[in-house]
Amino acid sequence: MSEPIHMKQPAVADPERRRILRLLGKGSVVAAFIAQLGAAARAFYPNILYEPPTRFKLKRPGEYPPGFTFDPAHRLFVVREQDDFHVISAICTHLGCTVQWRGAEFDCPCHGSRFKPDGQVIGGPAPRPLAWFDTELSPDGFLEVDSAIDVKPGFRLAAKGKA
Amino acid sequence: MRERMAKLWRAVTWTWSPESERESSEAIVRNLWLHWFPAKITRAAMSWNYSMWLGTASASLFLILTITGVMLMFFYVPSTERAYGSIKDLEFAVSFGRILRNQHRWAAEGMVAIVFLHMARVFFTGAYRGQRAANWVVGVLLLLLTLLLSFTGYLLPWDQLAFWAVTVGTNIAREAPLVGGTISFLLLGGNQIDQQTLLRFYVLHVFFLPLLLWILFAYHMWRVRKDGGLAAVEPIRAERTMRPKEMPATKSYSMFGLTPGTSVQVMSSTDLEEQDLVTSSPNLTRRVMLVFLAVQNATLLAAILFNAPLEEAANAAVTPNPAKAPWYFVWLQELVASTTVRIGPFTISGGFLGGILLPGFLLMVLAVWPWLDRSPKNAEGRWFAKTRRNQNAVFAAAIVAIVILIIIGVFLRGPYWKIYLPGTPRPEMPKVF
Repeated sequence: MSEPIHMKQPAVADPERRRILRLLGKGSVVAAFIAQLGAAARAFYPNILYEPPTRFKLKRPGEYPPGFTFDPAHRLFVVREQDDFHVISAICTHLGCTVQWRGAEFDCPCHGSRFKPDGQVIGGPAPRPLAWFDTELSPDGFLEVDSAIDVKPGFRLAAKGKA
Repeated sequence: MRERMAKLWRAVTWTWSPESERESSEAIVRNLWLHWFPAKITRAAMSWNYSMWLGTASASLFLILTITGVMLMFFYVPSTERAYGSIKDLEFAVSFGRILRNQHRWAAEGMVAIVFLHMARVFFTGAYRGQRAANWVVGVLLLLLTLLLSFTGYLLPWDQLAFWAVTVGTNIAREAPLVGGTISFLLLGGNQIDQQTLLRFYVLHVFFLPLLLWILFAYHMWRVRKDGGLAAVEPIRAERTMRPKEMPATKSYSMFGLTPGTSVQVMSSTDLEEQDLVTSSPNLTRRVMLVFLAVQNATLLAAILFNAPLEEAANAAVTPNPAKAPWYFVWLQELVASTTVRIGPFTISGGFLGGILLPGFLLMVLAVWPWLDRSPKNAEGRWFAKTRRNQNAVFAAAIVAIVILIIIGVFLRGPYWKIYLPGTPRPEMPKVF
């Protein structure tokens, strides 16, 4: 009887050493692949944004009429009460459409959210009140807004004499 | 001369009628484009009434979309400044450009509808059970990809619909817990909708999503064959197993000598028999071509008769009033608009509940349905089996609910997303505030 030849493997001097080498080989392939994938994914996370600054100047206080004025470029409302100013975001807190001022309340055209003049939610799906932006008077006499900084509702910028 | 003319005439009016079954099956297995079809197919699977050929229609639409889409890529510029203009050029300056874009648009909307109907057919015929469950899950993924392709597609013209759909879409993504902000940032390529956003959605639309869809489609087709063809064959298989095979009437031995009648009856194998099968060439190939031709003609006719919608150029300062999603997404718009829940001081936004949780839940239930199904095996492969009545009712109720939401969204919603019943006047909304 001849021995079966197909299953025969050469004797391994040190099977443990072979196992570790095999693991190292497979591991390095997987590691290289994951690193490559990670690098590719990281590239999609931008390092530089060519976006307008969140801090920007509006007009001079005196150029705003009393009441609510929509600023389409910055998507916000400038509210003037006598010589007091505050700035409310026009971006709906639900899903980001631009709300419209309708004389007594803000209404959103996308999903029907409704807000009081101070931004509090009256109805519709909006989960939060409209944001109030930090507003200052710049040294050269313009309203200056930082849309990255929220202030509490009730904030007023007194511009007496400047308006 | 006369003979030569006759030969030429035969060559010109060539029709395929194989001389033998062998020739017929070789026409399938030796052909690069056809070898993924079986050499023979059951008559039951060929029925117009059973499958309505909705899967073939979906694939035909996707082929048309791929071809028209690649054509459109020659004319479209994925830049926020030029995208809208290039669509206008297609409409007014490129010869037949309008028809090209129209056909792409109508084929896309048709594909959403037909893929959905295909899923409904598979559900109502109980064709997703047992071994076919995996392919049902692939089908759910294909439906999801179809919807994603539609979404990324109608963003590209960079009109008002596109701009506000990206706004709403990425804000829904932002509502996802923990990772929402990162996902939105990655989709937009920043904090604002800009050039990077358009480019990302463009590459997704013209490369990654179609590639994924083609791969999954190929797998879907392969699985159909590996899982034993359309489920329409299951009732026949069951019948073939049950019925005794007819034997030639010969004498038969019994304990007391010869008895009249046939010999001991033999149960046939579960395999389908010759009488159940037809050759794929030309039976299947002919019908596939007929379906493709019908779909091609329908989309072309629609493209000639109806213009694809295009709103004003994207304007970040003005949201259209009302801002409506296309019909196949308007039910989701109804959901996000009406699912904000307020419990005491806590508020769960409709963007999360109706935009992520509910659709995600629907998709999950859809995907695991084969494992929830407890109906008997013989409910497989027939329309509206009695033993599936309850689950068919649940599925039908879900469809009706979605259709009602679509009708409300498309026909009844007016400015500020208020309901206006038919006949009541709607306020005229100025375009710019």
